[in-house]
Amino acid sequence: MEILNVNKERPYPPRVTEFTSPFWESLGEGLLQTTQCQRCHKLSFPPKPICPHCWMDSPGWTSIKHTGTLYSWTTIHASPAQFSNDLPYTVGIVDLDDNLRVACRVLTKDGIAPTVDARVRLVVVMYQDGPLLAAALAG
Amino acid sequence: MKRAAIIGTSAIPVSRYQTAEGDPVQVVEHEILAKLVIEALDDAGVSKDDVNAIVCAQPRPYTRQKYFSTFMASYLRLRCTGIVMETMGNGMTAALAFDKAVDEVVLGRADVAIAMGINMESAITSSEHMKDSLRTTGDVDFHSPSGFTPISWYGMDAQRYMYEYGVSREQLASVAVKNRYHASLNPLAQYRKPISLGEVLAQRPIVEPLGLFEVPPRGDGACVVVVASEDVAKQLNKPYALIKGRGFFHEGAHQINEVPNDMIAFDAATRASSQAYDNAGIAVQDLDFAEIYAPCTIVEVLAGEAIGITPRGQGAIWAAEGKTTLGGQIPVSTSGSLTSRGHPSYATPLYNAIEVADQLRGRAQSRQVKDAKLGLMMNELGNYNAALVHILEAVG
Repeated sequence: MEILNVNKERPYPPRVTEFTSPFWESLGEGLLQTTQCQRCHKLSFPPKPICPHCWMDSPGWTSIKHTGTLYSWTTIHASPAQFSNDLPYTVGIVDLDDNLRVACRVLTKDGIAPTVDARVRLVVVMYQDGPLLAAALAG
Repeated sequence: MKRAAIIGTSAIPVSRYQTAEGDPVQVVEHEILAKLVIEALDDAGVSKDDVNAIVCAQPRPYTRQKYFSTFMASYLRLRCTGIVMETMGNGMTAALAFDKAVDEVVLGRADVAIAMGINMESAITSSEHMKDSLRTTGDVDFHSPSGFTPISWYGMDAQRYMYEYGVSREQLASVAVKNRYHASLNPLAQYRKPISLGEVLAQRPIVEPLGLFEVPPRGDGACVVVVASEDVAKQLNKPYALIKGRGFFHEGAHQINEVPNDMIAFDAATRASSQAYDNAGIAVQDLDFAEIYAPCTIVEVLAGEAIGITPRGQGAIWAAEGKTTLGGQIPVSTSGSLTSRGHPSYATPLYNAIEVADQLRGRAQSRQVKDAKLGLMMNELGNYNAALVHILEAVG
């Protein structure tokens, strides 16, 4: 995945647990990983130490494709105080080609609104204090 | 099991009541609620000694008094054989208070139970308020860091809906015009001056495509609803609203389904309403009106479609054609809904219950649904990840 460096800190940083640290570490290197059940083989996201489908514990880590489709999006004009410097900003729901649904920022260019069902790829936005996922329009 | 009914209600108009930290004279929640309890019991025609359960929606974190339900039991010196407790379930919080009060009655633990709620937040700015509500809108470590707000999910619902069904901005925005008209007839409503479609469309964007008049305003409110066994209700010799059916469904997803699904189908609303229709022994066509928890215009459209009162893809068009207006085919949210009646979130579902009771007790005055016999109330949490439906019937 493309890594875009930004010169600021995450407004509301996620917590890293012993279990989720492989996700965040690999994300920082541009790799998208999540958990996969070793019994029913279903993927889960966010990564979890149990399979939410069959409740088997000890799932494994697997790499997944970073491409997908923009299920929907909105541009937010009124935000929590932590995000006021980012206003307005666009967020969206991405259905990955590996059949997982993620929600993250959508990076827009020149103020052009994205379109529903557009092809997107996930990218890593590398803040000074760590990475976050975002979606960029493909192509 | 016994049957339960709403026999009395009281509320303050939704408005701004909360005082700012440091104001020399403060407004406190329990003083407001205590007066409403007495008013509601007067309305019902029962006395203090008849009450034996209190279920209170948990107040906002800004409410200084903690352990609010037990404090209210003390403030009112109410001794209870039924439960004294608070409920919490996001937007559904006050609906759970109502539902639990009904439980206490149908299980025979209380002949008369009080459901109450007060939500004070208007002195806190939206951006400060959202510092906390940010934590409610998905996985706090995997979604919140991107800056989602509670209503941003509804903005995404709207974007998807317009794309899938080719519905226009004008058609969607007409829901806000309709609800403001209803609110103009409701003395409990926060915003009562009628608005035009042009005015709705001209508002600044909040969560695109939705503008200011299509999202909930900030406000404070408080409600008390008295629920009693049907035996008690019958002895009072006046109209009451019988709880005829209930339904609940949680889809096992919080805000977002990690497996891609049809997010705008509001499956929980379909399942909960279907259960409630069965439980009540009615069909959707039997309803005379519906009061739907809908923080934004799009939510009323999607929820109405999910429970079968409008065809899929037609909800906004029906609103634009006046079919969901008072006097139309199926009036929806005769109270003015959350966009105009107001949205003191942890009290909102009790305002919905009061609207249904007013309609069924023939007390809705200029917004009375003619010959209202059966009404549906639906409340939700998340992006309709769970829905709680009550069907009520006019008796007497």
